Amino acid sequence: MPSPLELIKKKRAEAVSRIIGKGYLSTKRVYVGMATCEIAAGSKDVMEVFQKAVSRGLTDVYLSQKGCAGRCNLEPTVEVIEQGKNPVKYGKVDKERAVQIIERHLKNGEVIKEWVID
Amino acid sequence: MSETYRIILCDGTACINSGARKLSALLRAQLEQHGLTDRVTIGLSGCLGMCDKGPIVVVNPGYTIYGRVTENDIPEIVAEHLVHGRPIARLAIQEDHLYNRFFRVFGDETFFGRQMRITLRNCGIIDPESIDDYLSLRGYEALAKAITEMTPAEVVAEIEKSGLRGRGGAGFPTGLKWKFAAAQQTTPKYVICNADEGDPGAFMDRSAIEGDPHTIVEGMLIGGYAIGAEKGIVYIRAEYPLAIQRIQKAIDDARAHGLLGDHILGSDFSFDMEIRLGAGAFVCGEETALIHSIEGARGMPRPRPPYPSVSGLFDQPTLINNVETWANVPVIILDGADWFRTVGTETSAGTKVFALAGKVVNTGLIEVPMGTTLRQIIYDIGGGIPHGKTFKAVQTGGPSGGCLPEPYLDTPIDYESLAKAGSIMGSGGMIVIDEDSCMVDIAKFFLEFTQNESCGKCTPCREGTKRMLEILTRITEGKGQPGDIEKLERLSNMIRKSSLCGLGQSAPNPVLSTIKNFRVEYEEHIHEKRCRAKACSSLVVYEITETCVGCGACRKVCPVGAISGSAKNKHVVDQDKCIRCGMCFNTCKFDAIAKV
Repeated sequence: MPSPLELIKKKRAEAVSRIIGKGYLSTKRVYVGMATCEIAAGSKDVMEVFQKAVSRGLTDVYLSQKGCAGRCNLEPTVEVIEQGKNPVKYGKVDKERAVQIIERHLKNGEVIKEWVID
Repeated sequence: MSETYRIILCDGTACINSGARKLSALLRAQLEQHGLTDRVTIGLSGCLGMCDKGPIVVVNPGYTIYGRVTENDIPEIVAEHLVHGRPIARLAIQEDHLYNRFFRVFGDETFFGRQMRITLRNCGIIDPESIDDYLSLRGYEALAKAITEMTPAEVVAEIEKSGLRGRGGAGFPTGLKWKFAAAQQTTPKYVICNADEGDPGAFMDRSAIEGDPHTIVEGMLIGGYAIGAEKGIVYIRAEYPLAIQRIQKAIDDARAHGLLGDHILGSDFSFDMEIRLGAGAFVCGEETALIHSIEGARGMPRPRPPYPSVSGLFDQPTLINNVETWANVPVIILDGADWFRTVGTETSAGTKVFALAGKVVNTGLIEVPMGTTLRQIIYDIGGGIPHGKTFKAVQTGGPSGGCLPEPYLDTPIDYESLAKAGSIMGSGGMIVIDEDSCMVDIAKFFLEFTQNESCGKCTPCREGTKRMLEILTRITEGKGQPGDIEKLERLSNMIRKSSLCGLGQSAPNPVLSTIKNFRVEYEEHIHEKRCRAKACSSLVVYEITETCVGCGACRKVCPVGAISGSAKNKHVVDQDKCIRCGMCFNTCKFDAIAKV
């Protein structure tokens, strides 16, 4: 009988492989803030834009939601984490900005500086 | 090679003492020398919690952490890592702590760099609805460690040693609470998470649950194991639907993984959880009232002792802690009480989450080590006061707290210092107030809240707050009488001393602290019928200035016809007719109406 500690480590390994199975190792990971406050600021619409893009064939992107990022006055926030690059967090993202982030950043690798929170 | 690097220097006290600031100057000089200033930027962070390995230099991307960096190492870091992109293995250190581990992906370190994330470690990082995300980050490992390697008594001892204190506001030592509950022989015992967050402007608990619900589940499981309880209840407000949905999903997923239910992870420990919804009464955040509410009775407090640890839910031993307190538990178990004690101050270990709101540039949810000053929070993290206005006060502790003016800005955040300054830690609301707010009006706002939320059981709170509110209302309406301040003080002291529960005992705090720190504003309202912030509508006089172009817009909106004047000529306000509604002020496009 494995100990609880061994069991949880096994569970962790399984969880990690499931996450990887969902595409976690994609070059770009995109996180959309989906706490109550972010949703109130319009993040559901933003999420939809990204979801649609993925379902319409945007590849090499791992899309996920996240909780409150703590940036009340700049919500909704979208974070793009790219292998080997500095993380980028966009603020006040609406549908139009989401489209631009997909076209310019995710497809063409351009960091849209004026929307970056820093 | 055009990689853009971001270097973060730990600017915590320990790192500064070991020479971090010298490194910073040297680093700048080296960057200059190699012509790297364009593509390497330097930022400072607050304490990263790796004090024994300081000074710490972090290089991003890649999140390479260099520890015990000396002046001799800087040229090598610049030449090897920044010029050639070869991280230096000799200096790099590996960290596998739970706290702050996502510092690297926060980006945005002007805001996050000054913070230290223990309870919010996963919040805003992981998908809160995915147990896989949580498991992958050593989720439930603290629970497994407790069950496998520790006896319940050892868990209690570890929490006690950590110095963790109740984050709900009062700051009672958590370990002591656990010890009392564990010592009881009666069974069944209960574990409760108090998520009845009610302070106006506070959203710490909601965000924590929405962002990382499994942390709470794990914390409560550990609590259950420690005291010998098999049942946990999350008491949360019905007005937090998303938080409820996410914690429910967390509970269901945990159960499906064998992390809740009988024989957890194959052990002898069994524990299950459920959610109880609160209807939104502020008093139900008080533990005995909360317990009554779960029992199906009216949410009213009762005198303590007996404390819930001895006789709580259904008269059984009950361990009740706040959301943020629970979220600390897995970290203490995995990273150790000894480490936890090194964060914060002597009397207040760890961090505190604040909901920073009001007149501050960066409003938001922040977590800082205890001992951080109010000034650091408001100016370094919060970015100061917007629109060039002047800081007037900071309100901490919500309706039970107080307003602290400028001289108190260097007060370190810990339970004792804040109490000494005349406010309280509270659950973490922090509202910044600028010159545009009237302190009497603020006091009235909070008292209106507590007066509304008074459950009515004890007379001092029920009647006393009502009388205080009447006095405050008449002061703000310009009908204050000499002696009102003294009356307020007398009532306050009486209510504080004789109320049954914390709601009444702390209700006068906003009034007392504003009288103490802003007495002159009260006096102006009473004796001069004047509100310096021009916030009390009854005391404001509207006048039309020379800037008036005679457009007539104000004349048209005035509901009582108090404004007269012909086209293209300066208009005037008839002060006898004016009801001070402010419509003209809001309408004028030429800033020609002044509040005097």
